[in-house]
Amino acid sequence: MSWSGLFGVPAFAEIAKRQQKHCILLWLCGGPSQFETWDPKPGTPTGGPFKSIPTKTPGVHFSELLPKCASISDKLAVIRSMKTGASEHTQGINLLQRGHQPRPPFTRPTLGSVLAQQLGQLENALPNFILLDPCPEGNEFKGFKAGNWAGWLGAEYAPVRVGGEFKIPDAQQLDSITGDDHEAREELRKFFSRKFANENRSAAAASYNATFERVKGLMSCAHLFDLERLPQADRERYGPGTFGQHALLARSLVEEGAPFVMVANGMPWDTHVFNHEVYQMVVPDLDNIIFQLTKDLEERGLLEDTLVVAMGEFGRTPWINQARGRDHYPNAWSLAMAGCGIQGGAVVGATDKNGVDVVESPFDEENLFATIFSALGIDPHAEFDLQGFPTFHHVENQADPIKEVLS
Amino acid sequence: MRLENRREHKLASHCHDLCSGPGGGLFAACFDGGIYSLDTAGGKHEKVAQHDNYASGVHWSAAQGQLVSGGYDGKLKWIDPSAEKRELRSVQAHEFWSWQSAISPDGNRVASSTGQYLCGGYKYEPAPEREPSIKVFDLASGELLHALSHVPPVESVAFSNDGKLLAAGNLMGEVRLWDLSGGAREIARWTTPDFTGWGIIKGHYYTGGIFSLTFAPDDSSLYAAGMGSTTDPAAGNGKQLWQRFTWNGDGGGEKVGAASDGEIGQGLMESLAFHPGGKFFAMAGRLFKGDWNTAIFDAESGSRVHHQNTEMRTSAALFSEDGKVLYLAGGKGQNKDPEKPADWGRLITFDVVID
Repeated sequence: MSWSGLFGVPAFAEIAKRQQKHCILLWLCGGPSQFETWDPKPGTPTGGPFKSIPTKTPGVHFSELLPKCASISDKLAVIRSMKTGASEHTQGINLLQRGHQPRPPFTRPTLGSVLAQQLGQLENALPNFILLDPCPEGNEFKGFKAGNWAGWLGAEYAPVRVGGEFKIPDAQQLDSITGDDHEAREELRKFFSRKFANENRSAAAASYNATFERVKGLMSCAHLFDLERLPQADRERYGPGTFGQHALLARSLVEEGAPFVMVANGMPWDTHVFNHEVYQMVVPDLDNIIFQLTKDLEERGLLEDTLVVAMGEFGRTPWINQARGRDHYPNAWSLAMAGCGIQGGAVVGATDKNGVDVVESPFDEENLFATIFSALGIDPHAEFDLQGFPTFHHVENQADPIKEVLS
Repeated sequence: MRLENRREHKLASHCHDLCSGPGGGLFAACFDGGIYSLDTAGGKHEKVAQHDNYASGVHWSAAQGQLVSGGYDGKLKWIDPSAEKRELRSVQAHEFWSWQSAISPDGNRVASSTGQYLCGGYKYEPAPEREPSIKVFDLASGELLHALSHVPPVESVAFSNDGKLLAAGNLMGEVRLWDLSGGAREIARWTTPDFTGWGIIKGHYYTGGIFSLTFAPDDSSLYAAGMGSTTDPAAGNGKQLWQRFTWNGDGGGEKVGAASDGEIGQGLMESLAFHPGGKFFAMAGRLFKGDWNTAIFDAESGSRVHHQNTEMRTSAALFSEDGKVLYLAGGKGQNKDPEKPADWGRLITFDVVID
């Protein structure tokens, strides 16, 4: 029996699914404001118009825009002391997606690519890195999406991008071809491909093979990406917007065994204009998504094996600009996590009374990546297995994980 | 008409609204929640009331001898600025912000608009209202007179000059018009797509809306101001826009005038004000691109007759009762060091010259 055949045995597949670690990254691209989410400063000159509310965790307050998250704060860990070095989107996205400053000419793989390699299963029909992003545009994020996600790991670990306008095209087997014919054609393609690769030592052939394997896998599971198949009651609970619908799809894909799913939605958090007018809508949407996702994963017994991270590339300025917006701010910002390996109720670090600077336990992207890897049971300081490259580690500089948020 | 002899006064925080009080004095509603009596000559401003959140509106009622203010705390406050106990009444008008408020010309009613923009569809269309979007109160008794429906958020509200009509405009560019004589009967609604933008570039949601409404002096038409459509909500680069509408017997509206493309730049316009003479109106807001954020338009032709760049975001424009002064209130960007004295609000005063 082949590996793929083995996974077709229901009992084995079920065990494999249960042991699989997963990660869902809610990518809040543009840079969400810490003031209107996890680190409110009501009544201060920088606080804005939204109040704070108490949470289930004694002494901890969130923005009033997060009432549902406040009710499950015992399942969330919040880091209020992120201090990173990139204040523009392209640099910030790269930093928080790759976990390290650039070191040309080498391209470090993104978090999703590393987790796809580390958590992905052999012969997994589902892609090991799924990017759900229904917003095709997005300025700097659009540029990033067009770039090299997998870096030195190779195309095998690049994301399959689906969602909204990105349906999986041509993934249905033609009626005019029988299953046996299809298998026979695939065997013939493999034979010629192996022959070509052996005779030419071609990396390109290996990439083509990886792509064919992925397409073959996608053909068998394309239906799993169809929003319409999801229960209507679930779709209503997650909210009608694209972010909620694709967060639900992420949950569904994790249930099916996907190791890493990133949910993005363009760059709606980049509120240089109308900060409060936009956040009155997008933050309640996020509040509901985190609540529903955490609750659903827990009810399905998946939360302890699934890490949920909600973050962007930086935070937003304490001061309000002339266009009633907040600008980019990497000096003191927040993020939240839940699930696998995470200590629920932990609130780590602190900013000063106006949120201008970190006054307790500053952490950077390396600490964050070390935390994510540790939570998922991956050695953060292990070396990448690379030939002809300098030595690279999952996380460089022996950076420590944020122990206070690890369970 | 020209504007001359600019004077500038600093306020502690951004000024959202402005009104004339007894004897030509000014009152301001500011982001720090304060309602201030402004002493433009001495520069000392006295706080006469405090909201628990941004103050968004302030109006003087000569009939009642009182101020009424609105705020993002959802409250309306009745204030006697000369009394020892100044706050006379506080009414929780809305669960969400009072985006804007307006007083009837006879000084006997106040209207306030509200509504939180919540996700209501796949493209982030606004969800239906959870509370009435407009409320009208009797100023003498504080009694609720009318609770009116709209699609939130409703960012602007205005009475007609005869006090019989009430108009309200929202994020989606929808205007609703009620006849308040003998009840509250909706007589027209229409939508202009020009005041709202759906994000394509950075995020899929709606921004903008109608930020100011004012009736023509003869109440035969309604002017709306805001920002033209933009595909990048993070840029604030829609046109500096006003449009003029009439309404008809079948409940619809018709655009009968608009700012000329050659005379406008880009940026959000937040305020419209008619000159007491009725021949000109001012529109003011924020400049994104172009050379003005305050302009005077000829009401008949719609052409721009004067423009200024005051280099601030203007939220309120107000002519003095004699028409000789134009007040512009708003603010610069907030200080980057919050520990420094707060002085980012601005009141700019111009003399009005009519050639």
